[in-house]
Amino acid sequence: MKKLKNHVDELFKDIPEGEQKIAIKQEVLENLEEKVWDLIERGKEEEDAINKAIVDFGDIEEFKKEFGVNQSEKQTVKKNMTKINLGYSIWGSSLIIALFVFINFYYTPENIWFVYPTFAVLWWPLTMYFKLQRAK
Amino acid sequence: MKVQGCGNLIRSDIIRGHLDSIILRLFLEKDRYGYEISKEISLRTDNQFQIKEATLYAVFQRLEKKELIESYVGSVSQGGKRKYYRITMLGKAYLSEMVTEWKELKEIIDLFLEGLK
Repeated sequence: MKKLKNHVDELFKDIPEGEQKIAIKQEVLENLEEKVWDLIERGKEEEDAINKAIVDFGDIEEFKKEFGVNQSEKQTVKKNMTKINLGYSIWGSSLIIALFVFINFYYTPENIWFVYPTFAVLWWPLTMYFKLQRAK
Repeated sequence: MKVQGCGNLIRSDIIRGHLDSIILRLFLEKDRYGYEISKEISLRTDNQFQIKEATLYAVFQRLEKKELIESYVGSVSQGGKRKYYRITMLGKAYLSEMVTEWKELKEIIDLFLEGLK
């Protein structure tokens, strides 16, 4: 029976924690146990009965879809990532631009050239901003 | 999900579309719990159609969300503190609508497929 519990734990590992999950796991486990007892009563070995119950359970993917797990979950993760990406690119590009400005004014103050690399570097946060907007 | 008919595996997507109705029908008879439903389906179809539990709980989830069934914890006299489901008024209405729809559908399909060998 320990095997059965482990299997149910494994099946539900991607489903977000919460009261609902606990309730459903409980329900699934109880019903599976009953099925195993039933099979044993009909003359199956415990090991066989547990295996059959597990195989008969089928694929959890369908269940996840019903739970609305996959999509929403992945999307929020991705959205958070694009925000972090944008922040990183803004900080990173300002550092690089600051470096150019410093070099420009310290070594060649008579010639203003830092604008050119600045435009090039600004593509980076611009792209990240675009990605964030597109992800919305 | 495995469906066997005439020794062949029938494509299960046809029956899938009617799972809600099948399960609601079983709840209409009396309140039941999960394993009871899968047992009953296997029994009545003489093991030709065995529903996967994963599918079953997905259907329960869907039906409950649509408020066609509701769940409660059974008393010990009912045979343990299991999670039972009962059909709601909405569920009954939905089921009778499905029955009407099925009758019409069956007539249409029969128009084309009935009597062919």
